[in-house]
Amino acid sequence: MSEEKIITPEQEAQTDTAVKVHVAEGKKASSGAAQPASDQGMTRRRFLFSTGVVGAGALLIGQGVLAFALPNNVVAYPTSKGALLVDTKKCANCTSCMIACSSVHYGKASYELSRIQIMFNPFAPYPQGARQAQCHQCKDPKCVAACPTGANHVDTANGNVRTVDARKCIGCQKCIEACPFETARVQWDPTTKTSQKCDLCVTSKYWSEKGGPDGKHACEEVCPMRAIKYTTELPKVDGLEGYEVNLRSVDVDPKWAAYGLPTGDGGEWSADQLKAMQAAAGGATVSEG
Amino acid sequence: MANDGYMGKILRVDLTNKKVSTIDTGKYKKYGGGHGMGTAIFFDECEDPTVEGIDPKNVLTIMTSPLSGTIAPAASGRTEVQAIGTQGYPINWFTRSNFGGRFSGMLKYAGWDGIVIKGKAKEPCWIDIRNDKVTIQSATGVWGLDTYETQEEIWRRVRNSSGRQYGEGWYSIEKGRDSGNTIFDPCVLAIGPLGETLSPLASLIHEGGNGAGQGGFGAVFGSKNLKAVSVIGTGEVVPADMKELVDTRLWAQQYSARDATVETFTGLSPVYHMGVIEQTFGERPGGAVELGAPTDQPSVPYGCMACHRCCRRRWQSGKSNGSSCVDFAFYSGADSAAHGKATQTVLDASDMMQRYGANAFTLLQMLPWIQTLWKKGILGPGKEIDTDLPMELWGSDAFAAAFFEKVAKREDVGKYLHMGIAQGAEALGRFDKDTTSGDLPVDAWGYSQHYDVRAEVEWGYSTLLGDRDCNEHDFNPHVYWVPTFSHLLGIDTPYTAETLNKTIGEVCARGGEKYKDEKLLDYSDEGIYSDSAVHLVAWYRHYTRYYKQSMLFCDWSYADLWNTYTPDNKGLTGVIEPRIVKAVTAKNESFEEGMETGRKIWNFDRAIWCLQGRKADMEHFTNYAYDVPQPGGATPYLLPAYIDGKWEFHDCTGRKLDRDKLDAWKQKYYAFEGWDTNGVPTRKTLEELDLKPVADALEKAGKLS
Repeated sequence: MSEEKIITPEQEAQTDTAVKVHVAEGKKASSGAAQPASDQGMTRRRFLFSTGVVGAGALLIGQGVLAFALPNNVVAYPTSKGALLVDTKKCANCTSCMIACSSVHYGKASYELSRIQIMFNPFAPYPQGARQAQCHQCKDPKCVAACPTGANHVDTANGNVRTVDARKCIGCQKCIEACPFETARVQWDPTTKTSQKCDLCVTSKYWSEKGGPDGKHACEEVCPMRAIKYTTELPKVDGLEGYEVNLRSVDVDPKWAAYGLPTGDGGEWSADQLKAMQAAAGGATVSEG
Repeated sequence: MANDGYMGKILRVDLTNKKVSTIDTGKYKKYGGGHGMGTAIFFDECEDPTVEGIDPKNVLTIMTSPLSGTIAPAASGRTEVQAIGTQGYPINWFTRSNFGGRFSGMLKYAGWDGIVIKGKAKEPCWIDIRNDKVTIQSATGVWGLDTYETQEEIWRRVRNSSGRQYGEGWYSIEKGRDSGNTIFDPCVLAIGPLGETLSPLASLIHEGGNGAGQGGFGAVFGSKNLKAVSVIGTGEVVPADMKELVDTRLWAQQYSARDATVETFTGLSPVYHMGVIEQTFGERPGGAVELGAPTDQPSVPYGCMACHRCCRRRWQSGKSNGSSCVDFAFYSGADSAAHGKATQTVLDASDMMQRYGANAFTLLQMLPWIQTLWKKGILGPGKEIDTDLPMELWGSDAFAAAFFEKVAKREDVGKYLHMGIAQGAEALGRFDKDTTSGDLPVDAWGYSQHYDVRAEVEWGYSTLLGDRDCNEHDFNPHVYWVPTFSHLLGIDTPYTAETLNKTIGEVCARGGEKYKDEKLLDYSDEGIYSDSAVHLVAWYRHYTRYYKQSMLFCDWSYADLWNTYTPDNKGLTGVIEPRIVKAVTAKNESFEEGMETGRKIWNFDRAIWCLQGRKADMEHFTNYAYDVPQPGGATPYLLPAYIDGKWEFHDCTGRKLDRDKLDAWKQKYYAFEGWDTNGVPTRKTLEELDLKPVADALEKAGKLS
């Protein structure tokens, strides 16, 4: 599972900044104090009237913020069409993804400007040692909710990806503070004094590929280990518990197993692999040593 | 900062006067970066190149390239180190080494193209680089630690000064939110106990397994009272044409195992699956360690900055993460002999080697040598070489621990081994005897034989004409490993000798007319003294000096001469390098022009060795290369050869070199390079290469003919 330091559900319950709704699961929770700025003063009746939609929720657009208004002052955001999955047990710490990210977005090779971060300890025993901090495109995006200007918003034209319009960013860093992960997925550009975050390569202009939810993603394209994978089917384990998946299994990456690398969920060799290795050892005529 | 991959300035640290200054990179751009820049800076900054490696007048350079820190495949993470080494014997030649990891990119992100270190600190210190801010810190509490402990202690000190601990996420390098933010600990290049005690065995270590081993630069650090250099940077590298650079990366990846299907990733033959043929652009991740490493514990690939293949591994035991190849090979034979297979012991021994900061290549021949002396009754308790090294525990963790401790503490035989393999053998009165018998296969300049000079001559000749074991795998996997291991497996070699020669010959010819040769890979008994061998060695010297050591394309991916995934198996070399260089620097430089820059740098180096005292009559291998037949072993030593009008893979087992023929070949090579009969570059040659000041220096020293 994820090694990231996260805020627990209990801690979350004590905060006053989150909007606690999962659209996909239709859950309701007690509303926090903070609402998107545009939602203040908006009644359910006015909302339905303005959109002409009758139902449990509808579009709400104001100051760049898109959300669903639900009964009882609860607001939710349309789910991102997709997100990036990572397998930390597959990461080789090469940081290709980081450099690719800053390269295609800014035309600059930089760790600081990367919207995916790799944390590693070169001396740690495997499977420890590598952690990838990528944006989860949270169903409940606290960075979007925290933004007072709508700069950090849901981009309906691009599959509801959570992104930042730097032109509207006033540099308050509230979105960075709101990100629940210890290594915030929203990062700070000290040159422009604005926040930025993964937009699934919607604004990646320094390569010939088309990015976005329906396009390619630079980090995924360059990762030599194929430890990053874009998905339109978000894992059942969501949000604060992270997206931690096994991208090493034979059905996902048959070469990984063919290399003799561990495919088990915990970073161990699978039972099938062990069986094959034992069989090979029994009948081996040539040692790799 | 220009949009050409360079940061525009080089850091100069004068440890004697505790003074920090900058050098304008612009003056040195014509050398590309890395080695070429380092040579030119050394020439300008070192007032006396004839001093020994541990002299305070020695100048050490740590250089990046314009590609460092970018997404260029296998060209982002190498760092070139140069200085007068301590390993060279009988003269401490001006020499080089090179290590991977993230140091070079991080140095660029901090705003520097390189570091020049001069003088000697009064007290042990470490250099602390945080973007533009550079300080010389006291090494109290760091001196005495091993290389890994040193790195962890410096990480802790840098993090703590920002009020953060490891793993806590983003932190600011200085106070204020706009001072630069990072989640990284600094990249540290450190020495261990061997460097502190000035042993020629001493290496420089960065993270796990990234070592500048050859040359004995650890002792140069130690002689300057310098324990480590630490760098953390939050800036960026700006290539001229990022779109083209990213596109090139993605284009090149398709010719590697990454994008191959599971059916084709082994290339044309199972030999590519054996963990021995891994020094090529296309091969699989994590494969650089399998030969001699244990197969009974899970591990995963581990890569240098922005590498497209990630050839090393990190292990479930956490021991020896990032080590590769010779880092295991120096003890894998002992481990396997003791345990019947490769075990955790080889990882433990490699881990010790990295922590002490020792050069694995020296150990590769030093350990078998002392075992031979023990078996012959020369070494042991009460013997001619009196030692209580527990030889009966050969191949165990306990032996490895005792060995490293004795060497580091300079106890009993360790006192001699600490001096270096050649210097120690000389002090024991055994150098001539044991290099004549071949018991001590130190082939030239105090360096352990890497590949056998009697067979694989492009490697041996380059070592002899240079300053150290050349250690460049351009031809080696294709000419030696593939045919030899195909034979071992009892399968067909995936190419014929004729096809290999033709394909690689055509790729090399992309470098210009002067390298065109229809028998470039002729390793026959006649071919090794022919003009073809001149062309082969010249291509090798010029290519590696510019592309690999100056632009810092990694040795384990370049040159790409034979590629298992291209339709005609022609490698990407000659195409990919100029494309990447242009995308980053905007320099519209052909491959031929790049090779010419390599020739220039090679001549520059040669001139410095001549200033140090190099003469033609010094350029001989030790006696065993001429007097003892190549011994062979479990496998034949197969190399392509043109014999009786036909190409074949020829077994070079049993071959000896011929002194007279080699001397004659050297004169042919000198003439090809524009050197005089004593091997000194002529004024005409140097001036053609825009190196007039170098010719002037040779003339002033009375070296020019």
